[in-house]
Amino acid sequence: MRGVKHVFELILRLYPSDFRRQYGDEMRAFVQGRLGEPRYASPWGAFGLVCHLLVDGVAGAVREHLVHFAASRSTSGTIPRRRPRISNNEPPEELMATLVHDARYAVRTLRRRPAFTIVAAITLALGIGATSAIFGVIDTMLFRPLRYPAPEQIVVVNMTRGGSLREPPAYPDFLDWREQSRSFQSLGVTRSQSLNLTGRETPERLSGNFVSASLLTLLGAEPLAGRLFTFAETEVGTAAPVAVISEGLWRRRFGAEPTIVGSTMVLNGQQFTVVGIVPSTFSFFSGTDVYLPITYYPNNAGLTRKDHSMFVVGRLRPNVTLASADAEMRAIGARLAEQFPAENVGSGAHVESLHTLLVGDVRAPLYIVMGAVTLLLLIACANVANLQLSHAIARRREMSVRSALGAGRGRLARQLLTESVILSALGGLLGVAVAYAFVALLISIIPIDLTFFSPIRVDGRVMAFAALVSILTGIVFGLAPAIHASRTNLNDALSTRTGGLSARVRGIEMRGVFVVAQLALSIVLLVGAGLLTRTLVKLQQVDLGFDTSNLLTMEFRLPATKYSQPQQISDFFTRAIAEIRAVPGVRSAALVRAVPLSGNSDARAYAVAGAPEPEKGQAPILQLNTVSPGYFKTIGLALVTGRDVNEHDDANAPLVAVVNETFARREWPNASAIGQRIRFVDSDRWVTVVGVARDAKHFGPADLPTPQAYIPFMQMPQIFTSVVVRANRDAIALGPLVREAIWRVDRDQPVWKIRTMDSLVANTLGSKRVLLALVGVFASVALLLAGVGIFGVMSFAVAQRTHEVGVRMALGASGGEVLRLIVGQGLRLTVIALLLGLAAAAGATQLMASQLFGVTPSDPVTFATVPIVLCAVAALACYLPARRASRLDPLTALRRE
Amino acid sequence: MRSRESRPADFLPLTPAVLHILLALADGEQHGYAIAQAIEAVTDGTVRMGPGTLYGSIGRMVAGGLIEESTRPRGRGDDDERRRFYRMTALGRRVLESETERLSRVVALARAKNVIRRPEPA
Repeated sequence: MRGVKHVFELILRLYPSDFRRQYGDEMRAFVQGRLGEPRYASPWGAFGLVCHLLVDGVAGAVREHLVHFAASRSTSGTIPRRRPRISNNEPPEELMATLVHDARYAVRTLRRRPAFTIVAAITLALGIGATSAIFGVIDTMLFRPLRYPAPEQIVVVNMTRGGSLREPPAYPDFLDWREQSRSFQSLGVTRSQSLNLTGRETPERLSGNFVSASLLTLLGAEPLAGRLFTFAETEVGTAAPVAVISEGLWRRRFGAEPTIVGSTMVLNGQQFTVVGIVPSTFSFFSGTDVYLPITYYPNNAGLTRKDHSMFVVGRLRPNVTLASADAEMRAIGARLAEQFPAENVGSGAHVESLHTLLVGDVRAPLYIVMGAVTLLLLIACANVANLQLSHAIARRREMSVRSALGAGRGRLARQLLTESVILSALGGLLGVAVAYAFVALLISIIPIDLTFFSPIRVDGRVMAFAALVSILTGIVFGLAPAIHASRTNLNDALSTRTGGLSARVRGIEMRGVFVVAQLALSIVLLVGAGLLTRTLVKLQQVDLGFDTSNLLTMEFRLPATKYSQPQQISDFFTRAIAEIRAVPGVRSAALVRAVPLSGNSDARAYAVAGAPEPEKGQAPILQLNTVSPGYFKTIGLALVTGRDVNEHDDANAPLVAVVNETFARREWPNASAIGQRIRFVDSDRWVTVVGVARDAKHFGPADLPTPQAYIPFMQMPQIFTSVVVRANRDAIALGPLVREAIWRVDRDQPVWKIRTMDSLVANTLGSKRVLLALVGVFASVALLLAGVGIFGVMSFAVAQRTHEVGVRMALGASGGEVLRLIVGQGLRLTVIALLLGLAAAAGATQLMASQLFGVTPSDPVTFATVPIVLCAVAALACYLPARRASRLDPLTALRRE
Repeated sequence: MRSRESRPADFLPLTPAVLHILLALADGEQHGYAIAQAIEAVTDGTVRMGPGTLYGSIGRMVAGGLIEESTRPRGRGDDDERRRFYRMTALGRRVLESETERLSRVVALARAKNVIRRPEPA
């Protein structure tokens, strides 16, 4: 019984408050009476009553609102108020009109001017669609959980060393962490490295992940077929040659053959038994083909404390916080640093959530793009508002007539607002299509591994966002024309044919405000795009130290089982280089362990002869590369003094090295580097410096000068290496020929990552390029819209001032003076916009600082250039209508009013 | 003011709800719930009015001057304090008469055209 009353209280709230005050108590008493009737006593009966009350109540509430609406609308009117119709089935026709009629009328109006409707809808669709798409990306990446089960528990444990919180640990560190920590349900380790698949028709390089069994289980992997690794299979001592392959590889390479589980495949020259397949829905690091036990990770240093290359992932226990896990790991890290001073001194351990690690670098660019696209949407709104406003001014007669016939101000404003909202809804519908396309585009250009995240798509949330933005948009751009129309002065509007002066001026003023807003917003976008352009130019202007043109690079690795002796390795490379050099079109070729800008690298702690021995863990670090004779010549890296490594620097000769200028300057500022000796702290053999080369950027143009050393390949042969080839022209065309040359030496040798140096350079600029492309496009569209906006306003102003211009010219003003008058008026708007826009830009660009290189957020060049560009566009947009005015025939102009 | 100038014909045709309410009040003043019960009784339960329909109609009938609020009749003090009583105005009575006249003309017309096979007592 009480439930029924509660429901009825809710129903009552649906009614207008006036009605509720008047009849609420009686209606409650009515329901009380109903409740006393025996037929409603049973629960079933009560339910029936509730249904009856709901239907009756909702219908009644809607009716009362319509009546209320009509009454409030017509109270102030001059038209005699009609007697309320005694009817409850059919509301007065005026009530219907306010809802349906407005909408119908709006649709009809929009259809009468298809050009305006199409342009406005497309403008809005682009703005709404782009904003929604970026919202979808941000929503997925920043605000939704990762695609693993209970993702908030997944953390990454890294080493800390010398201020850096994200240094990779070594495998024994992982074992110690796992044994000593209590915060984790489980800790897993992984190391990505490519694999050679052989023993089939063509050798192939596969993407491999060496893992502990726990890694797959803690991330919630479920085998599609077979099983995952057992604990023992991935542990030192009990390891078994087993492999888990991805669904992708299974379908692509093995034709989805069900018998693959249990069969063997040869990877890095060794047989592995496939025990299971993981579905493509599971992915840690995109594109992994094969998972192997971590114990098979083939590295020269093996799984020692020296090999800091592991990635450790953990799953926190349910009640453990990130902070407490971090505290525990810090303590363990400190303990290990004492226990293993040789390798771990000065190091610690740090826990952070996987999500934080993944989105740390993309947060700022995403927000910048969102900011840019929001500005664009506002500009689009201003543009449509402007169009609407000019249309509203043109419709003043219509509005006046309707007003004279009794339409209230609110009614006219509502009419125009209805039009705007219908227009923006149309834009929103089209915008969803734009969002689909834009999301697909964004996914393809975002330089981020998206496999960790939920799929980015246009889903309910994005749709809801688009709907919300559409409605807000409609109100934002519809409000001004609506207010303008509601201020229409009846007498003023009807007294002359074209409308009174004051209203006309008000319309132009309001449009002026929009144009200023558009221009100012465009300036913010243009400055942002300008700063990013300057950043990209600066990055491209950086002297990498070597010649990037016509340079081909490729990577390969020799199977350790086949090439176990250093002599075998150097023999293979000697023959391979000879074959490559014989290929027509090859000018020179050489080997290098880590191609600059490829992302590969090696670093060593070193000591200098004659200098005091550095403290453990305090030794300086250099970037180390191993190169074959001819490397410097091939990539065009100049030697400053001394000699290149040569054929005589082999395993039997004294160890030699070429160092870079930064190294030489830092260690021997007052002496020649040639003949000086250095030593890597993990070795006791001394290396003599025989040459000094220029600095070369290794990771990207933004690298700081770093000590670098090159040692001869023959003195440190490695199975994993790259070839650089200088071509006479068109480097990429040589790729297949060079690969054939390598295959002439070893038919089983996969070669991969065949890339030109130019493409590597482009890669290092990738994310900046994407950012610039997006902001640049938005800024261009903004400039275009702003230009169109100011053109529209000036054309309109000229048309309105025809009479005045005629008078001036009749009184002797020249065409040039009229031109100056009109252009001057437009430029006044531009100058106001410039002041506002530059001030806003100065604030907004501070938020971009992290994305800039070589320029400050208040870069004077950008801040000086943008106003010039904008003024040029504005001047052109003003000049065209002004020229029309200056060519007016005074007599025609005077006659026109 | 306006209701005094109103002619009964302005209100025709009446909606079923208004017609029934007027008919119910023809016997004398009543409160809303009693009106609904009376309507249900005379229509054998086929017209069951909810509070929304009832008070929506009452509101408009009061505004149109067809009915008016009356003081609580003596001897009915046991009723719920929240209930108000309504009675028909002179205009309301004339409107009801006009409507029933109109309806009887409709019925007569229907009979003349032999649309009604089994004439029922009015």
